[in-house]
Amino acid sequence: MSPAGCPHVGGWKADGWRQNLRLIYRCFVWSGSAETRTRKAKSCVCHACGAHLSRLHSCLSCVFFACFAKKHIHEHARSKRHHLAVDLLYGGIYCFLCQDYVYDKEMEQIAKEEQKKAWKMQGVGEKFSSWEPSKREVELLRHNPKRRRITTNCTIGLRGLINLGNTCFMNCIVQALTHTPLLRDFFLSDRHKCEMASSSCLVCEMSQLFQEFYSGRRSPHVPFRLLHLVWTHARHLAGYEQQDAHEFLIAALDVLHRHCRDDDGKRTSNPNHCTCIIDQIFTGGLQSDVTCQVCHGVSTTIDPFWDISLDLPGSSTPFWPLSPGGEVSVLNGEGHGGGATTLTDCLRRFTRPEHLGSSAKIKCSGCHSYQESTKQLTMKKLPVVACFHLKRFEHSAKLRRKISTYVSFPLELDMTPFMASSKEKRMNGQHQQSADAFCSDNRYSLFAVVNHQGTLESGHYTTFIRQHKDQWFKCDDAVITKASLKEVLDSEGYLLFYHKQLLEYE
Amino acid sequence: MSKDYQMKAAINQKLIEMGERERLKELLRAKLVESGWKDQLKAHCKDVIREKGLEHVTVEDLVTEVTPKGRALVPDSVKKELLQRIRAFLAQHAAL
Repeated sequence: MSPAGCPHVGGWKADGWRQNLRLIYRCFVWSGSAETRTRKAKSCVCHACGAHLSRLHSCLSCVFFACFAKKHIHEHARSKRHHLAVDLLYGGIYCFLCQDYVYDKEMEQIAKEEQKKAWKMQGVGEKFSSWEPSKREVELLRHNPKRRRITTNCTIGLRGLINLGNTCFMNCIVQALTHTPLLRDFFLSDRHKCEMASSSCLVCEMSQLFQEFYSGRRSPHVPFRLLHLVWTHARHLAGYEQQDAHEFLIAALDVLHRHCRDDDGKRTSNPNHCTCIIDQIFTGGLQSDVTCQVCHGVSTTIDPFWDISLDLPGSSTPFWPLSPGGEVSVLNGEGHGGGATTLTDCLRRFTRPEHLGSSAKIKCSGCHSYQESTKQLTMKKLPVVACFHLKRFEHSAKLRRKISTYVSFPLELDMTPFMASSKEKRMNGQHQQSADAFCSDNRYSLFAVVNHQGTLESGHYTTFIRQHKDQWFKCDDAVITKASLKEVLDSEGYLLFYHKQLLEYE
Repeated sequence: MSKDYQMKAAINQKLIEMGERERLKELLRAKLVESGWKDQLKAHCKDVIREKGLEHVTVEDLVTEVTPKGRALVPDSVKKELLQRIRAFLAQHAAL
């Protein structure tokens, strides 16, 4: 069973074998086009007994289909001395002399290519295929034989951060970022190829940070280089005063995104469609629909976002208490006792249609005049990591205060009701939930919570992070302690980080 | 060939022609991974290989040993869903 096939494969590879093999795969195994599918449907039956479902195989030396289960293809192989056949369901090559499936590298290559072509034609796109190391990677693995075993109790990845003078606003975000699975995988598999001339690349520093966190060292890390780089690139955050963790998050993502783009700035000519890791993970699309109240024409724009800032009850903006219960809250398993506001309440408020009032008329291109309109926000595209920012700090002209209203948030969140596509379905009178669950899954899992304790003037940030699916830890600067899920869900919550459960390919 | 068998063949043909068979396969694949079926079967395969010995085991051995268990372990909910899908498809293409 070596990857070089079997000795009999060599004998079969006569001139033009590649073309013939491709044809067989394209027509009878991976049928992409409508034409080949019809042909496959009609002709793929056993030439001996007419069966169509008993592991049909096609002879590789002549046009003969027969079932495997009833040994009809074996009969053909024996009598015609055609030793090779291909499985019409999975594309495996069977050798009757070796009496097993054989794996020839060249033939596998052709099979893979034809399969990809068929998927593309059917609109399926890329599908999961397991990782195969490149030559370079095999070399690296051989030269670095030390392996680290991750068990359920292993605490690798957990490290405290020393507070360098009111820098907990930075520490709490670093904890959330170093525990974002996709970001961690990106940096630990060395994907950042720096092309910045100077040594002030924040992405390189992030990479270093991940190395520190996953080094296995348990003493707290001193992030002085990171702090210095942040001061250099985000001047508004410099100084020893306490800053807003949310502002730091956005500034950090922005600098990382800019520094990433400097790498493929040469390759991507389109500034609106960045493929850097930050955009891949954090960027979503927010759809804004403005409907003219007179002609009902809708003007739509889609803006990218890295986080969703939600107004809270008790703020000076009107918060309309929504009716308790309803299918949305139950869907997200939130306790709705005693009228406590939930995250989904906030999201419902965020995505409700809002009358813009007579003092804010919009120019309607349909009516060619200023009309009253309603505006509604929905999610067009969800990011892999969704960050919700509860607007607890009020900085209006009259008052500066912190809103400590408890907002309950769930462990699992389904964003389907807030999607632009769901809104369209509701408007077209379609009722949700068909069996089409596999084409868009909008479920998210909580993996980090940043909390603020104290007042606007003097406060402290801490982070709860999730490891190994159901273990939670509290990160309070240099001190890491085990936490229970209850503690996490009972906490006030300032920044909530959710990770998409099912990832899809582009 | 019995009438049942003819019907099965005709349905199968239609499913392949319309590309629905591929879509159903994808749905099934996703559901089987989600429900943990794939992991269960993988573990069973490893057991069979260990029993027979890595150098001697053939694909046939695995197919014979693993197929009955695989069939039995498919969750009822998955079977129901697939059946619903096929019914819906047939209802749409009623010219059978």
